[in-house]
Amino acid sequence: MNPGLERLRDPSEKTLALLLLAPAFLLLALIVVYPIGKLLWNSFFDLRLSGGSEAVQFVGWRNYVDVWKDHDFWNAAGNTLLITAITVPGALLVGLGLAMLANLPFRRRWPVRLALLLPWALPLAFVGLIFAWFFHTEYGVVNDVLRRLGVTPSMWLLSPGLAMTAICAAIVWKTSSFMALILLAGLQMIPRSLYEAAEVDGATRWQQFWQITIPMLMPSIIVALIFRTITALQTFDIPYTMTKGGPGNATETLAMLIHKTTIDYLDVGYGSTLAVCMFLISLVVTALYLRRIGRE
Amino acid sequence: MRLRTCLSLLLAASLAAGGALAQTTLRVFSGGSNQRPDLMRKLFDQYERANAGIKIQIETGGATSELQRQYLSTVLNAKDSAIDIFLIDIVNPAQYFGAGWLEPLDAHLGAADKALAPYLDVYRTSNVVNGKVAAMPGFADAMFMYYRRDLLEKHRIAEPRTWDELGAAAQKILKAEGNPNLQGLSIQGAPIEGAVCTFLLPYWSQGKDFNDASGRLTLDKPAAVRGLQQWLSLVDQGVIKKNVAEVKTPDTVNEFKAGQVVFAINWSWAWDRFKDDADSKVKGQVGVMPLPAMAGGKSATCVGGWQWAVSAFSRHKAEAAKLVGYMAARDASRFLAAEGALLPTYQALYQDPEVIRQVPWFKDAGQVMVFGRSRPMSARYGEVSDAVRTTTSAVLARTKKPEDGVAEIESRLSRVMR
Repeated sequence: MNPGLERLRDPSEKTLALLLLAPAFLLLALIVVYPIGKLLWNSFFDLRLSGGSEAVQFVGWRNYVDVWKDHDFWNAAGNTLLITAITVPGALLVGLGLAMLANLPFRRRWPVRLALLLPWALPLAFVGLIFAWFFHTEYGVVNDVLRRLGVTPSMWLLSPGLAMTAICAAIVWKTSSFMALILLAGLQMIPRSLYEAAEVDGATRWQQFWQITIPMLMPSIIVALIFRTITALQTFDIPYTMTKGGPGNATETLAMLIHKTTIDYLDVGYGSTLAVCMFLISLVVTALYLRRIGRE
Repeated sequence: MRLRTCLSLLLAASLAAGGALAQTTLRVFSGGSNQRPDLMRKLFDQYERANAGIKIQIETGGATSELQRQYLSTVLNAKDSAIDIFLIDIVNPAQYFGAGWLEPLDAHLGAADKALAPYLDVYRTSNVVNGKVAAMPGFADAMFMYYRRDLLEKHRIAEPRTWDELGAAAQKILKAEGNPNLQGLSIQGAPIEGAVCTFLLPYWSQGKDFNDASGRLTLDKPAAVRGLQQWLSLVDQGVIKKNVAEVKTPDTVNEFKAGQVVFAINWSWAWDRFKDDADSKVKGQVGVMPLPAMAGGKSATCVGGWQWAVSAFSRHKAEAAKLVGYMAARDASRFLAAEGALLPTYQALYQDPEVIRQVPWFKDAGQVMVFGRSRPMSARYGEVSDAVRTTTSAVLARTKKPEDGVAEIESRLSRVMR
């Protein structure tokens, strides 16, 4: 038998480790490293699939300069950050409330847990379509309720401010259950004895909440915030199905702009540049969080 | 040793199978359900019977033109040879051919001037890109002005010829009927493909062009502003409803069907919905007329319709082109007209007594089709459409002034259409 094969059959610890890691590494390289590398590469080219035979041209930093001057990019970036700034704290507050509610000693817990899980289990596009119906001027339930209360109904999805409000409401509804799930797990980790001790010392419910629950929950809150913030920066489905970015492009997010540029306009080069810029924004936000955790 | 035996057995078996099945399978993308894949299947069945060795598989998908465009762009970008033939919207031949995704059909079906001679003008021009036959017309479509014949007769109103006349007629009817659910005119203002036509109809009807023959933008800004203002003034008159920027194509159809609309602009497939649907409250009461013009202008309508094209990545181009020739032939057009009331692309079929006997409304439809104009042909149509429909919708939602909207369309498209 040849010695190489012999070594494969009975490898040392180190070779074994490398061998076992190789498949995972290859897979990651294929589905993470290669696409990101290709994205970066494409962002330096004038690569339009609608042009057909036109040769692909290296344009250096031109796409990035265009992004800097692109009104649509800043508009979309602003919308994305606005949605993030509203829906992340919104979902945290609502989610915390839901988690506290679910943590109460109900006799039957499963209906509460199920209700908590349901919005999270629904596909995003589904939620967008449902809320688009809720907020429809004529057929929507929101305006119906307003009409019954004697309030003048609004054209929710046709004015920039109201459309943004409606979208944020849909996102908060959809995402707070995910927050609640993580926070509920955190709540259940807090030992009862802490509360008992606090009660003996005469602490009020309010004091218990601020002095015990919140500090003990902090790690869960941060994890939930990181996840939620990253997905909020990638918001696509709900505005896409509710308003298609309208009216005009008042509710267009970065992910929608990238989708439009690459899929509708077939401008892969510029689309890649936009995607790189979005990646940078996510990177900065995540880095800020990580620094904060490092200090904790 | 054993492995080699296995392999050679496998090879022999596959060769034998290949010999037995000397057959070509053509895969056809035939649009969504509005493009009637059921009728296409019947034609394909006939073709299979007449051509031994050809098998045709249908793939459908995408309810709207935009969704189909997105899907096909993905397939074709990947140079996927899985689909041989596509049914594409009239706005797409220029873009797809420009991208090198379509096989020129000249070599298979004859040069452009010959192959496309018998068709309506607008299809003759839209399917030729750079002098080459990019696709062949399958069936026609256009925006029609439907109206409630019963209401116009009841209130002794003639078919309006201009938008102002239409506004006055609708106001008169709305006032006399006193039904708060009744709308005067329904148009599509949501940011969908139909909104491109909503922008173009009043603009074209002033005798203006959106682009020249080479595809360069020739937007007359004051005329475009007047067109958008026409819609807004109809909204102010209470003829068009306030949330028009939310209205999509099916909304117009459903509301007209429910008897809630006096005048409605929609594609030709709506006719059958009004006539045949079980829940239609307007059966036998619907009329069709040419679209009104702006004062002093001339009627114009927005043409749609579907074309057969052969993929540049197909492995069976000759067979596919032959099938396309069959699907674009007069007999197929006549069959689709009689069975599904799909509008013929042949001018002559609108006067064909047999066709008229089966689908009487084609007599009216023929009068509208002659005013047909095509949306701008551009290799970057996705961008053209997006700029026009998004801005039109925003203007109709009153989040932008018509002047600002038109300036925005011009600044976006002057780079794209040059």
